[in-house]
Formats: sequence, C-alpha cells, structure tokens
Amino acid sequence: MKSNNGMIGKSIPRIGAIERLLGKPLFSADMELDHPLVLKVLPSDRHHARILDIDTAEAARVEGVVEIFTAEDIPRNHLTGIINKDRPLLAKNKVRSKGDAVALVAALNIHAAETAAKKIHVVYEDLPSVHDPEEALKNHASKVHEKGNLLFTRKIKKGNPEKAFEACAVVVEKTYRTSFLEHTYLEPDAGAGYLDPDGNLVIIASTQNPHYDHSELVSLLGVAPEKVRIVQAATGGGFGSKLDLNVQGFIGLALYHLKRPVMCTFTREETYRMTAKRHPLKMVFKTGADENGHLMAMTAKMICDTGAYGSYGLAVASRAPVHATGPYEIDHVDVECRCVYTNNPFAGAMRGFGVPQAAFAHESQMDLLAEALGMDPLEIRRVNALKAGHKTATGQLLNGSVGIDQCLEAVKPHYENALKTWLHGETDFAKQRGVGLGAMWYGIGNTGVQNPSTAHIEMDGEGRITLYTGCADIGQGSTTVLSQIAAAVLGISPDMLCMVVGDTAFTSNAGATSASRQTYISGNAVKNAAEKLADVLLTEGVDLLKRPKTDLMLENGFVVYKKDPDHRMPFSKIAARAAKRGIPLRWQGYFDPETVPLDPETGEGVPYATYAFACHVALVTVDVLTGEVTVHKIIAAHDVGRAIHPASVEGQIRGGAAMGVGFALMEEYDPSTTRSLKDYHIPTAMDMPEIIPIIIESSEPTGPFGAKGVGEPALIPTAPAVINGITNAVSARIYHLPANLERVLEASIQSGKFTMKEVA
Amino acid sequence: MLTHPAYARPETLYEALLFLKTHGIDTRPLAGGTDVMVDLRAGKLKSEYLLDISRLKELQGIGLSKDGLSIGAGVTISEIYNSPLVAKNAPSLIKSCAFFGSPQIRNVATIGGNVGNASPSADTVPPLLVHEARAVLASENGERTVALANLFEGPYRSGIRPDELLIRFILEPADGRFTDFQKIGRRKALAISRMSMALLADPKEDGTLGTVRLALGSGTPTPMRMEAVEAFLKGKRADRQTVEAGSRLMAEEMVRITGRRPSTEYKEKAVQGLFLRILAPLVE
Repeated sequence: MKSNNGMIGKSIPRIGAIERLLGKPLFSADMELDHPLVLKVLPSDRHHARILDIDTAEAARVEGVVEIFTAEDIPRNHLTGIINKDRPLLAKNKVRSKGDAVALVAALNIHAAETAAKKIHVVYEDLPSVHDPEEALKNHASKVHEKGNLLFTRKIKKGNPEKAFEACAVVVEKTYRTSFLEHTYLEPDAGAGYLDPDGNLVIIASTQNPHYDHSELVSLLGVAPEKVRIVQAATGGGFGSKLDLNVQGFIGLALYHLKRPVMCTFTREETYRMTAKRHPLKMVFKTGADENGHLMAMTAKMICDTGAYGSYGLAVASRAPVHATGPYEIDHVDVECRCVYTNNPFAGAMRGFGVPQAAFAHESQMDLLAEALGMDPLEIRRVNALKAGHKTATGQLLNGSVGIDQCLEAVKPHYENALKTWLHGETDFAKQRGVGLGAMWYGIGNTGVQNPSTAHIEMDGEGRITLYTGCADIGQGSTTVLSQIAAAVLGISPDMLCMVVGDTAFTSNAGATSASRQTYISGNAVKNAAEKLADVLLTEGVDLLKRPKTDLMLENGFVVYKKDPDHRMPFSKIAARAAKRGIPLRWQGYFDPETVPLDPETGEGVPYATYAFACHVALVTVDVLTGEVTVHKIIAAHDVGRAIHPASVEGQIRGGAAMGVGFALMEEYDPSTTRSLKDYHIPTAMDMPEIIPIIIESSEPTGPFGAKGVGEPALIPTAPAVINGITNAVSARIYHLPANLERVLEASIQSGKFTMKEVA
Repeated sequence: MLTHPAYARPETLYEALLFLKTHGIDTRPLAGGTDVMVDLRAGKLKSEYLLDISRLKELQGIGLSKDGLSIGAGVTISEIYNSPLVAKNAPSLIKSCAFFGSPQIRNVATIGGNVGNASPSADTVPPLLVHEARAVLASENGERTVALANLFEGPYRSGIRPDELLIRFILEPADGRFTDFQKIGRRKALAISRMSMALLADPKEDGTLGTVRLALGSGTPTPMRMEAVEAFLKGKRADRQTVEAGSRLMAEEMVRITGRRPSTEYKEKAVQGLFLRILAPLVE
C-alpha cells in the first residue's frame, strides 16, 4: 500500500463538529427566507378509497391561504420512487393508505395552513382494504395497485436442500416475525425553497440523496435539469427514510407555481404518519446440520409487507434472502422472498434493508442447532464461518476481505469470560442472567445493480484544492472520511482541502447515502479523482525538479524529491505553470463496484463486490416476574476492512448497538395506534449498555486504503445477540420482535421461570 | 382545532381562587405544564383560560407537624426527590419520583398536577395512598380535606371542583415501617408505568404482618388500595406460601375491579410478579 501520510486511520476532528457544537449549521427549518409561505399537507384518513371529489373552496377562503394544490396541479409525472415509480406526490383518483398526501396548502402562516387543511372536503368512496401481506396475495384480495399486490419475488437456489436435509443429524424449522419500525431521526423532515435571480428553483432539504431528489423534481415538474438545484442542508440523521422524497416534491410544486419562497417542516406526528417504515417480515426458516454442526442445508420463505408503496421494498426483498444464510457457508440453499403491497403505511429503507430481520432468524437458528447438538454457540459459528475461497449462496467466490473468523476470535475471550464468571454472578431473586451471540454479514453497496459514485477535484491557479462530492453527510461523517482519503493521496492535511458537498449546482452524483456504501464507493471515486490530480502534479514535478517521477512524492503541499526533501516545488508554482500551459487541473473520479446481476430464477450472481462482517456478544438480565430486560454490555467486533476514521467507526458501532437494543426490546410501530414519540419507545441513555467496540481490519483489496463500511452492520448483530441472551437467561425463545414485556414474561412463564427463586 | 386559551397568573392564592370562582368551569390550572402542554398541542384542551399557579407560594413547601408530612401541591417532583424530610418519612414516594419521566419533566412537574390529572398511571399516587394521604382543597369559600382514596372519580376525572385548587397533601409518616414503590415500564426512563405498586407494611417481632397497605397503579381505572389483599395478609406470617397466595388474590382482585381487557393477559401475570417483587424483602 502506498504511503498515506498518516491521514488514514487517524481520528481527526470531525469536519463541522465545532460548528455543530456552537449551533451554527443551518438545518432546513432554520432557513431565513423573505416572508416564506408555509406548506401543509392534507393526508388521507382512509386506508383505501376512491377519491370522488376534493372541494377546496371553503379552505381557499381561509384568511392567509395563497393556494391549494391537488394532483391536477402536477405539471408532468405525478409518480415518484427510486426503484419503482408508484407513489404519487399527491393522490390521484385514489388513496392507498392513511399517510397518502391528498392536497397541499400554501399559506402565509402555519395557523392559516392548518386551518385550511381541515376545511378541505374530500369525498371518498371506501374500498376494501388489506393489511396482511399473506391475505393480500389471495385471489379475492383488494388490489392496492392495478398491477396486483405482489411487487417482487427474489429467489436464491443452490444445490438440493430437500435431499440434503435427509442426511442432516439435526434440522430445525421455525417461524420468525418482526414489526414495523419508525426511524425516529433527530430532525423531522424539512425543506425550504426559493427562486434564484435567474428563475431557477433552489430547494434546500434534509436529504440522504440530493442528486436523486434533483431527478425526481425534474420529472415531476417537467423542467430542464439546470432549472432545479438541490442543496443538502445540515441533516439530523436519516437511517434510510430521507432517501424518499418526503418534502422536496411539495416545495418544488409550490415554488413552480407560486414563485415565492416556501418552507415545509413536518411535525414529528407527520414524519410518523407520512414517511417510510421498516418492513415487517415473516420468515419461515429451516436449517440442517450434521453431527459436527456443519451447516448442510437451509430453506427460507420470507414475506415482506411494503405497505402502500414500493420505495426501497425491492432492495429489502432482495437483500434479506441474499443474506439469509448468515456469514456461513451452506451448500444447499433455497430461499424465496416476496414483497407485497398492502394498505399499511409504506415501508422503505431503514438501516440494514431487511438484513437485521434476516439476521434475527439465522442467528436464532444457529443457537437452536447448537442446542440440539449440545454445541457451544460460538463453536458452531466458527465451524461454519465463511472464509476466503468459500462460495456464497449466490455462487459468489469470496476472495477478498472475509473477517468473520477474526470477529469471532476477537469476541471469544469476552464471551468465555462472561459465561464463566458473569453468568454466575449474584442476582436478586427475580433476575436471571444470560449471554448471547449474534453474527452477521453485509454486502456493501446496492444488490447486483450498478451504483456508481463520482467526484471532482480541482486545483486553482494558486494551488488550492477543492473536492466536490454529491455524497450526503447526514451525521455519519462521510465528508471527513472523504477529505482524509483525498488528503492521503495528495500528501496534504485534510484542512487544506475545500469541501463542496451535496449541492447539485456544483457536485456530481455520488449516489445515495445508504447501503453502507459511501466510504467504499464514494471513497474510491474521490481516491480516483485525487490520484489523477496527483499524477499531474508528479508529472509536472519531473519537469521542474529534473528528477524521475518514481523518485518524487507529494508532501505538505509540495512535490518533493524523496532523496533530498529540500529539493521541492510548491503546488502553487505547479498550478500556475499548468494553468499557463493549458493542462487541466480539474479531474473526475469514478467508481462502480463490480457486481453481476442476480439470476431471476436462481439468484446466481455477484450481488456485492465486498462484504462487512461482525459479531456481537450481549450480556442481559431478565426479570422473570415482569418481563423487563436489562442489557448490561455489548461487545461488538466489526470487520470494516480499514477504519479510515476510527472514532467515527466506533461512533457508528455505538449508535448501531443503541438502535439494535431498540429493535430487540421495544420498538414497534402499530399503524393503528402509534402517533408520535409518546407511544413509540426508543432506548434512552438509561437503557444503554456498556459497549465495547472492537475494530477488525481485514483489508479489502478493492477498497480505498482497504476500507469497506460499517453504517448498517453496526446495528445488525445486536438484536440477535440480545434475543439469544434472553433465551439463555429464561430457557425459552422469542420468535417475534420486539421482545417486549409481554413476550418476555410469556417466555418466562412457558419455561417455568415465573417464580421467586429460593431466597438465600 | 388548536385552542388559544387566555393566560392568567395570579399573585396570591386568594386571587387565584377568586378567578376560579368566576371562571373555574372554563379554566385549566397550569403548574409544571407537563400534561397541560401536551393536551394543548394535541388540540385536546378546550378551556378558555390557563391559570398559572406555578408561582403561588401557598402551594409550596414540605414540612412535618403533628398532623403528618405536608407536601405542597406546587412542589416539583425534583424537590420531593431531593427532600431529606420526605426521604425519612415517605421513602416510597422518593422512589416513585426517582423514576418519574425524565430529569426535565421532574424539574417542572408538580405532585399536585400528577394527582389532579387523575391518570390511572400517575406515579406519585400509589405511594400517597399507602401513606393514607389527605388532599387539602381550597376554594373562595374555604378549605376542605378529602382522603386521596376518595378523590378520584374515574380515569382522568378527579373530584376537584372547578372552583377549587389542590393546596397540599398530608401524609402519615412511615415511622420506621417498611415502604417501597415498584414500577414496570417499557424502558428505563421516560416511560409511562405499565404497572406500579406501593407497599407500607409493619412486620412484627413474631414474624406476622401488622399493618399492610398496598396500592396499585395502572391496573385499575384509578390507582387504588387493594383492601382484600391487605386483609388477607394482615396477621399472617410473610412466608413463601402466603405471599404466593396473596399474589394470586392480587390478580383476581385486579381483574374483578377492572374487567378483562386486551392488556389483562400481561397484567394479571405482571401484577403477581410485581407483588412478589415488592413483598420479597419481607419474605422469611
């Protein structure tokens, strides 16, 4: 590996951290525009209904109302969606869920907008609604969309599992279920817009994908691409939900017609009602192993409820089955996942795209097999862990970074110590302790489809360098990591770089901040751009320093002769000379991971160029009398390839574990009753365990400086580890997430633990 | 609809009571606002006036006299939590305050508001009940004292008349008797009680239980004393068998009073679990 001037693997101060601490960054709702109109959406209050009439006359008479928009006002294509376009910006002819937007009010103030929204009279004709994906697939079921309720099926087939099961020493078959989840990012969706002096539409928004937003706005409004500019505002988290067009389309529509500054800020209740949820999955897993615990075969039938619209449903329905084996080699596999429309709130991307759900199932199965064989849960995972040279269920030969073995090795002393000592520590009469393991693998980037990133780097006549990237930093720290990568290549300090991020007027498409892809994919694009510039600098240096290129290096803003560091030339001189000679100093970088699309019938292919791996250990206590669970400690080993910024990696691991505790124990969005934070529980600081992050660096040859990704992997193993810990504590297993008070107490009763232990 | 009630802030209790005499029926008293503001934002507050009683001195103060432990209705949950006087005389109330909402809520929420809102899950109420707390109410006509157990008419319905304010509570001190509060929540902070329980008991030298007072929160339409269970335990030795029988009686009583609901499946077990947990220190 090339020298990286110490910039890689260094936790430099996060770009923008001080500004955030001082309260300086402008979030969308903070924008100070000239007398902006405020926008209010009227959502459907029906699950499934034809719209017979929308009468806006009374609402329009409310003082302060400027305009009320319906689907009729959308100039071009009214459907939106990143994978399949099925979600109208404003409902046309019918509504498919209670979150569908029916009309949009623009008013001088929020009071007028809210008052008017309540005075819009919509005449509905109710249609039968369907809320269970299995019901939705029956012949008589009401059709949510004309094309039918089955959106997509992904199949993965390898070998002959039915035959292989016959030879297994043990086979377990169980059904697992998960719930709708709400992302509950810190910042509710918001955006603002105005017309620039040239009449272009400028939209500032809280988003994970500004360049996608741009393409949707162009499609909705039918305007030339250069007429729309999307600027990513400071963004307070997203976890996948801000990949959808939540407010941007409304802002664009109002701007287009009214040509006045507008703002749209969702309340927490609106984000709960109108934005995506995590897909609930029902998963029937059958897994068989030989007497030594070697996995021989597995089958799985999965069904995922995407609600009224597809959003990222296809990605979830593809990723969940691809990852269903877990990070283990299995020769005989047959997995099918169906993605189904219902009249529930639409489900979309949420940290992990279905893999957290799948991992709950495959890791429960691993413990069940271990129990049946009398094996240690860590041992059965070690026996089966993927290694370089193994083939995955899609037939992909793994030959790069495969660090699951190292993760298992790293947690081993903690795990064994917990079993030996902590497990037998003193507890009160109602408490039982348990130790659980959860492992995972996660493909970096989108599944078997192109998902390139681009970046530009530019040196001006005075040698100053600017990096342009469309990569949305939503709090995870990508801007800092990308600056480190460019700085490492150019031999400068990251603070010598000017970063231009997430502004479609200046940046080019880096793809979505999702799929844990930005460090790996955009990192490579940035590296590629920086290397082109570095090559120009070195080549020019040859002329100026009269030394061969191989003897030159870049250091602290100079081209330096390696053998005599005093013999050097500043970038500024090179830049001035290059400019004079017409040599370009602006370069584009590009990277698209090498994948092979999955075969529609067998799933054969190369879905991802590389995978992240992880294993968590959870130490839990269960109150067998009330069902309360305390997670004391999580030991989290993550193979990230290379940690460009270790503090950010640890931050992701901690945040992921927090979200994982919520997924395991308390988070559940019930479409009929959940309205806001008052009835949706995410973990508080008091619920958080001690977390011990362990960074494993199994360098990925195709990664920038060996890096892969960690954003979603951080969350995935936590819930299985906690659930396996609860099982260890109460000797009964929970098959339906979350493991809330009711389910844990039920498990405790079923296993006969619902009693006071003998008091010493 | 969003309402925009008028705001009034009297300087003295007398002014407040005069205001209530005229406008009581259209007024919602505002102290910490942790329930009122939620209702206001949700558009559920229909009152014309908000009467800010948060600065009335007459509602402040914690003191001990021959009548008992007096806690002003305007005392915040944090103040109670930090009071050595309460710690000595009503430790279970301290414990209910320790797990009440979040630090921000505890700093402004008042005990009077918690009682007056009459939520089935009000955390301070079960401890108040086992201390046989009396509520002192004032109107322009004068004061009256009501046993807290008789104050509630139903979920979110207290017997406080529109022209009245809760002034203070008078608790019977623990006097060295065993008291405790236990709560089950869906998480470890900022959780509405799924169930709560308070106990005051007086184990005698011979191992039998003298006084037993047991109050249940979030299991019945309003928090209440479980008298049948108290009677069952009184005079008995707190052995394992008795306590387990008591726990089953506790569940039967709860179901008898409340009826069966979807939540009963969990609660009739959890109430036994919580009962065992709270009695455990007394079990021989």
